[in-house]
Amino acid sequence: MVVGPVAFMALAALLFCIGLFGALSKKSAVLVLMCLELMTNAVNINLVALSRFLTPSSLAGQFAAAFIMVVAAAEIGLGLALVLALYKARRTVELDRLDRLKG
Amino acid sequence: MAWVLLIALLPALAFAAMAPMSRAVRNRMQWLPLTAMSGSLVLSFAAFVEVWRAGLGEEPVWEAAVKLAELGGNPLEVGLRIDAITAVMLLVVTIVGLCVQVYSLGYMHKDERRGWYFAVLSLFSAAMLLLVLAGDFLLLYMSWEVMGLCSYLLIGFWHEEEGPRSASIKAFLTTRVGDVGFALGLAVMWATAGTFGFGAVARFNWGAGAGLAAASAVALLLLFGAMGKSAQVPLHVWLPDAMAGPTPASALIHAATMVAAGVYLVIRAMPIFIASSHENLHAVITIGVITAVVGGLLAVVQHDIKKLLAYSTISQLGFMFVALGAGSTGAALFHLVTHAFFKSLLFLGAGVIIHATHTQDIREMGGLRRALPWTTTTFTIGALALAGLPGLSGFFSKDEILVALVNIPDAYRYGLWEKWVLVGLMLFAAGLTAFYMTRLWIRVFGDNACSLARESHKKMLVPMAVLAAISVVIGWTQPAFLTFLGHEAAWPDPLMAGLSVAVFAIGVGGGWLVYGRQVVDTEVIKARFPYAYGMLANKLYFDLTYSELLVRPFHELAGWLSRFDQRRVDGVVNGAASWWDDFAGLLWAGDIRVIDGAVNGLGSLVKRAGARVREIEVGRVQVYQQLAYAGLLIVLLVVLLLPWLRVLLGLLVPMLRGA
Amino acid sequence: MPESIAAVPFVVLAAASLLGAAMVVLSHNVVHAAFWLLEFMMAVAGLFMLLSAGFLALVQIMVYAGAVTVLLLFTVMLTLRHREDAERPLDLSWPAAGIALAVLVAAGAVIASFRPAVAHAPAVTPGIAEFGRLLFTQWALPFEIASVVLLIALVGAVWWSGGEE
Repeated sequence: MVVGPVAFMALAALLFCIGLFGALSKKSAVLVLMCLELMTNAVNINLVALSRFLTPSSLAGQFAAAFIMVVAAAEIGLGLALVLALYKARRTVELDRLDRLKG
Repeated sequence: MAWVLLIALLPALAFAAMAPMSRAVRNRMQWLPLTAMSGSLVLSFAAFVEVWRAGLGEEPVWEAAVKLAELGGNPLEVGLRIDAITAVMLLVVTIVGLCVQVYSLGYMHKDERRGWYFAVLSLFSAAMLLLVLAGDFLLLYMSWEVMGLCSYLLIGFWHEEEGPRSASIKAFLTTRVGDVGFALGLAVMWATAGTFGFGAVARFNWGAGAGLAAASAVALLLLFGAMGKSAQVPLHVWLPDAMAGPTPASALIHAATMVAAGVYLVIRAMPIFIASSHENLHAVITIGVITAVVGGLLAVVQHDIKKLLAYSTISQLGFMFVALGAGSTGAALFHLVTHAFFKSLLFLGAGVIIHATHTQDIREMGGLRRALPWTTTTFTIGALALAGLPGLSGFFSKDEILVALVNIPDAYRYGLWEKWVLVGLMLFAAGLTAFYMTRLWIRVFGDNACSLARESHKKMLVPMAVLAAISVVIGWTQPAFLTFLGHEAAWPDPLMAGLSVAVFAIGVGGGWLVYGRQVVDTEVIKARFPYAYGMLANKLYFDLTYSELLVRPFHELAGWLSRFDQRRVDGVVNGAASWWDDFAGLLWAGDIRVIDGAVNGLGSLVKRAGARVREIEVGRVQVYQQLAYAGLLIVLLVVLLLPWLRVLLGLLVPMLRGA
Repeated sequence: MPESIAAVPFVVLAAASLLGAAMVVLSHNVVHAAFWLLEFMMAVAGLFMLLSAGFLALVQIMVYAGAVTVLLLFTVMLTLRHREDAERPLDLSWPAAGIALAVLVAAGAVIASFRPAVAHAPAVTPGIAEFGRLLFTQWALPFEIASVVLLIALVGAVWWSGGEE
């Protein structure tokens, strides 16, 4: 079987969608962040795979993925700090209960 | 001679000037009407001289008319006319008018509203003068009405009291009844003759049959009007009550001038009477006789000096009407003239007496001949003139009437017996006159009881003296008078003269015996004939009859109509108003519910829609996320499917256009 | 000659990653979910190795599998009051599933229309040295910006955690 870019892309798509589903439906902020990680990782896979198959010498995809990792790390660091701050303020991380912007 | 208009115009201008003034200013302007009246007097003399020189009798010396309008092809004119009758009347009115005004200076000296009194007096004089200057029945009627108004104003001058108020209304309404007849007569006159002018009517050929009937109608209707103004029975009831006004006003209006207007009217309408049936003249005589006798009888039992003189006036007016009915306008006019002078004199004297004794009841008076010498003299002259002392004016004029009665033309179809009955009745009335004047004199001036009354001011005495002097002299002018009028001149008939002297003597003597010597006790007579006395004392129940038959039903009708108006008419109006109110309330409710409902409904719809839409703002992050992704998907779909969409549209559009 | 990635390692690693992802979403226990995420990270690292992205695989393990997952676990521990609170309902929603499915379909459509110029991977690819060289030459600016971003994130995280003095 030829494991070409299509295979990796399909895998990445699947992982992304699983992550999307979780991100949109989970009610715990921590779980949502986890699902967000799933999504970013899926994107990384896609980029690296395409770079390997299309422009192997420039490693463009790898660099893109590297910087995405940086941003994702920053994002999750801040996100979790937020979650902790929220928890301190509201004693809960249930997204359903955090609806002060309602109306 | 157009300046004769000034005779009437001067007093009118005086009134017009004084009317708008304030009370204070007006009260100081009394010289104005006096000046106007003096001017009128001078001009009246001038007019008289002119007429004398022309010597045309009853033919006009001067006539003028102005066209007011054109009615059905006939020109409607009013105008002036000067003839012998006019000249005489002018003098009478101005002389008596001036005397009364001078007298009033003293009499009304302390009254608060004397300015207004003089103003109305002036207006009255103007109206009366215009009446005698009038050359046609229409202008006569208009002046007649103005005089009625002035009479109302003067009788009710002291309107703060009930008596003058009701008396003035009574006078106005009673004369009004007559005026209706007058107006109807004018209408028939116009319809038949097509003119109002004295000369034109006199020359008019009434024709026969219907025309004659019309002439009779006019004559009788005008007579009815004259009856009202000249206080003939049964329209005499207003005159005694009219005594509630100031005495000098009564002297002018209710003795000399206004009440004479009716006689004047009949004089002017004589051609109509003569042209129509002689039955009309019968009617005139009958009315006159009844009035003369009734007036005299009622005067006998009066205690109020002014009311006594009022009934006397009524009686004397009856004399004038008898003269008219006998066809002698000369005798009637002569008596009118003499009566004007001595009756006004008597009234002015009564004013002085009342002023001095502070009462009007003759039973409370006495002995005034010592206290008021001047008044006594002048009053006595007037009384004797009225009673008919030979040599004084009254004798001559009354005698002339009797002569006229005796010499009634055969055309009037009086039987000999009828004539002498009439003469007898008139003699009886004359006797009554003498009798009640004697009674009056004895009660007021007789008795030796010394009264503490003081004589009056010169302003009041001088006019009386003037009038007295005239009363003495004027009788002797009788032949000249008649010639002046264009009639035959005659000295009194010896037979008639003798009869009237006899009657005079009987009357005076009887009065002296009963009241002076007190031969017979009046109380006894009263007790023996209570029924007769009661009738006379109650004025023959005229007032009571009128009150019950006419006045009260009228009041009840008025009350009924008023209640009807209130309940039905106002009910309808109020009902309509409340219906409209309900209707408006309905519209208001509609507005509130329907219109406001729509508006508010729209508002609440928007609110509810907004609330629904707002539900998207759940405040939950996941929901926002899902929405965001859903939107993203839609955009993606459109972008991806764009080529296919273009193909699809390319196919659809021709299909739609084709359809 | 066309070269392809070795099939067997790929299938194994792909399966592992799919399993990890699925279990993260479908786990009742938050802590378990975190560990499944760790497993997923490791699988992705393996995939990177397969794709000759050695540096990335190392970074993946160091940053993701190491720091991020630990961070997550710390947070989970700090936000749980009782041990029992770790168990929670699955919170699956149909709209989310629908959207995810639609996205999958859309992605599938795009992939299906993908016609790569080459369907094979060359045998020799630049190594870590080349990666490093390129990083500090061609990609130097993004590198610096990335460090600034990390600094900001660090400061921000400290702030939000309550370090305000």
